[in-house]
Amino acid sequence: MSVLHIVEVTKTFPGGTNAVDSFSLDVADGELVCLLGPSGSGKSTLLRMVGGFEQPTGGRITIDGEDVTHLPPERRPTGMVFQSHALWTHMNVFKNLAFGLKLRHMPANLIKEKVEAVLELVGLAGYGDRMTTQLSGGQQQRVALARSLVLEPKILLLDEPFASLDQHLRERLREEVRDIQQRLKITTLFVTHGQDEALSMADRIVVMANGKTEQIDRPDVVYRNPQTPFVAGFIGTMNLIEGEVQGGHFVRADFTVPLPIADGPATLAIRPESLDLAASDKPGASVHRVTDYGTHGLVDLDLADGTRLKSMVAHPDLFRAGQGIELLPRAVAAYRNNQQIYRSSP
Amino acid sequence: MTTLALVRPRTDWLGIVFAALLTIAIVGPLLVVGTWAFTEVWRYPNVIPQQFGFRFWGQTLGRPDVWNALMLSLQLTTVVTLLSAAICLPAAYAFARMSFPGRNILFFSFLAGHAFPKFGLLVAIAAIFLQLDLIGTFWGVVLIQLVGTLMFMIWIPVAAFQAVDRRMEEAARDVGASPLRVFWSITLPQAGPTIAAAVLLSFVGTFYETEGAWLIGAPGIRTMPVLMISYINNQMVIQFGAVLSVVLWVPSFIALMFARRVIGGGAFARGFGG
Amino acid sequence: MSEVTEGAVRPLIDGAARRRPIGLLLVAIPVLLMIWLVIWPAMNAIGRTIWRTDANGQLSFDLSSYVFFFSDRYSLDNLAVTLWTTFVCAILLLVICLPIALYLRFSHGRLSAYVQALAIFPMFVPSIILAFAFIRVLGPNGMVDILLNAVDLPKIRTPYLTPWGPVIGLVWDNIPLTVLILLAGLGSVANQSIEAARDVGANALQVFWHIILPRISNSVLVALSFSVLGIFSSFTLPYLLGPASPEMLGPFMQRTLREVQNPVGAMTQAVVAFGFCIVFGLFYVRSVARNQGK
Repeated sequence: MSVLHIVEVTKTFPGGTNAVDSFSLDVADGELVCLLGPSGSGKSTLLRMVGGFEQPTGGRITIDGEDVTHLPPERRPTGMVFQSHALWTHMNVFKNLAFGLKLRHMPANLIKEKVEAVLELVGLAGYGDRMTTQLSGGQQQRVALARSLVLEPKILLLDEPFASLDQHLRERLREEVRDIQQRLKITTLFVTHGQDEALSMADRIVVMANGKTEQIDRPDVVYRNPQTPFVAGFIGTMNLIEGEVQGGHFVRADFTVPLPIADGPATLAIRPESLDLAASDKPGASVHRVTDYGTHGLVDLDLADGTRLKSMVAHPDLFRAGQGIELLPRAVAAYRNNQQIYRSSP
Repeated sequence: MTTLALVRPRTDWLGIVFAALLTIAIVGPLLVVGTWAFTEVWRYPNVIPQQFGFRFWGQTLGRPDVWNALMLSLQLTTVVTLLSAAICLPAAYAFARMSFPGRNILFFSFLAGHAFPKFGLLVAIAAIFLQLDLIGTFWGVVLIQLVGTLMFMIWIPVAAFQAVDRRMEEAARDVGASPLRVFWSITLPQAGPTIAAAVLLSFVGTFYETEGAWLIGAPGIRTMPVLMISYINNQMVIQFGAVLSVVLWVPSFIALMFARRVIGGGAFARGFGG
Repeated sequence: MSEVTEGAVRPLIDGAARRRPIGLLLVAIPVLLMIWLVIWPAMNAIGRTIWRTDANGQLSFDLSSYVFFFSDRYSLDNLAVTLWTTFVCAILLLVICLPIALYLRFSHGRLSAYVQALAIFPMFVPSIILAFAFIRVLGPNGMVDILLNAVDLPKIRTPYLTPWGPVIGLVWDNIPLTVLILLAGLGSVANQSIEAARDVGANALQVFWHIILPRISNSVLVALSFSVLGIFSSFTLPYLLGPASPEMLGPFMQRTLREVQNPVGAMTQAVVAFGFCIVFGLFYVRSVARNQGK
């Protein structure tokens, strides 16, 4: 039973930039939460504060009710897996895993038992005698994971652990990590800038930008119902159109959509898969390019003022460049002042 | 020259010319010395010695002045190297890992020792030692040789410490190691080989240090190189000097073997500003 | 998607502020040693040669030791032979080492590895052994004389105890570092920039002059500075291989200090040496510092 509470944590670097700005998050027991954001969004800094490698300038971090805000890393019940795996190259795999246990004065036979068990868990049984430099990138990252797991930390911290691996390996490893995490029911905080990783692994996703939370939700909700224009633009592909609402209609160039909100500026968001097209002579949009992906097609469209939109279509062969098009959005959301103010029912 | 260097000829004539000239100029003289060391009789103008043998080895190594000089040199070198390591390695760690006011200025100030013509500086130091009565004493020589090792023993270990991945140290903190334990179990072993090479090179460099020992140490302190100077100037038996040269060259040979990794990769030359 | 680049990659645990005194403490001894035995002696030498105690025991500004140095025939001869030796060595080093470095840069294989090993080898031969070997080879009745005699040629005029003795020894001694520094400089000349120049029709000499030389001019100057600093006040080789008169500044200073027992005279000579080398010293320090800063 381990829960993590992050309460209004702030990190100000010398020079006055707030890397993390009054951030709060509760992670439930056994939950895997992804911190997702572009580089510089403060997600890594936040993770490093939970691990004890950075001191918050304000706020509190508690694990199972115990305040760890000012404890050094060696006295926190957290285990961190680093992006560059950070294995100790002068030790073999066994010694890498045993180091932490030895510091805890565990008897040698018990250490051996535990190390072998965790190697088995990450699929590296029998690799104890290898030097870490003789392992492949994926194996090194597995050893790094095992090095954290063997100490049975209350909170597992993963700092973009797959960033240096190739696409194929990354997909396999994230499934493995997810399986292990669910088997051990270990509370996990995972930092990534890859939305695929977040969407496929997380119980909940925290989308961060500029040191602040943009949205905290289940992956499907973050995708279907982004609460801010930033999240809308960051997760998946999204047509974001700046425009004006006048008398219940959103207007941009010759394109209008009914939008039952008060008059004023607004940002309209439409997923490519929610934007249907119909051939038309009416002014609206024209086809710029058609790309056929086999399973589906993508149509690039230009509004009269040059604004570029994308639409996903089932039969790309129905369209050709230069053709006039009528836009038929099925589901839209609208944002004003960085807040969602309207969402059509799905 | 460049013509040949850029347009690769089928046979590397340029390389052969360089190799031949360098072999004659660099290996040749040393071979002559080596031959003398194992010669008992070699009268001009014979091209090959009349008689080879080990007679002069026994005679040279049996001389008390040789033994005294050897023992003194080893003592001096050991003391200087240990002192240098004891004061320089912690300083190198501080320069590499800690931030404190004046860090950069202090770091580069060690270049000052290399900004002066060396012997001029030694004379200036000797003038101070004259007033302090350190001339002709063991510790006077220790001090002057210690200064010679400073830059080497700080700059190379600093690079070694900086090359240790901080994430490795953080990972060790993460599994429960105290900062001191991290240094002992992670940082030091990682930086170890390079630091060992620096210590070894400074040991050998100190062993051969001649000018400071001669200027400060004479007449009381006679190290091996100082003894060698007097053999060259005053000793009629050529073989004594030759045998001593061969014996003296042994530490250098060990250094040659160990230093390859430090000198390779151009890191060493960069340390000299290349 | 604005970026807050600061803080993205931040080093370890902070708390540097807490460790400040420890950091200073750890570097204190070497720094103090360096100040006491490098900076202070240099300043002391300058101070004591221009502020002298006069007959009444009063400290006063007095340049008489310099006046003596620059009016004394013997001192001036020594200075002249020092300058001549330094200049000749620098030229010879360039003429010998630049072709070797160029060759090493543009060829690979066993032969070039052998050439490189040989060029670096003198670094591992103490100058005292070098001096001994020099005498046995180039000295009277040395190996060269033996070989010449064997083919019925006359003996050479030995450079031993002439100004050429130190020149040969010092060049031999300084080959490794000069080659290494030049080679490091040549490493920054990209193959592609040379190929591009050849592509537009430059011949090898033009490539060297227009492409390579501008890129390595700094390295050449560093190599020169380094050898000038070493050669100008060298002691062992001139002392053992050079003539007794005129002698180079190194042996001259040593004799003035230890045999003539005239510290002020020796310090004056040292300060004169500092003065002649200051340009090279400052350039060398600047280059190394800039290199490290990168």
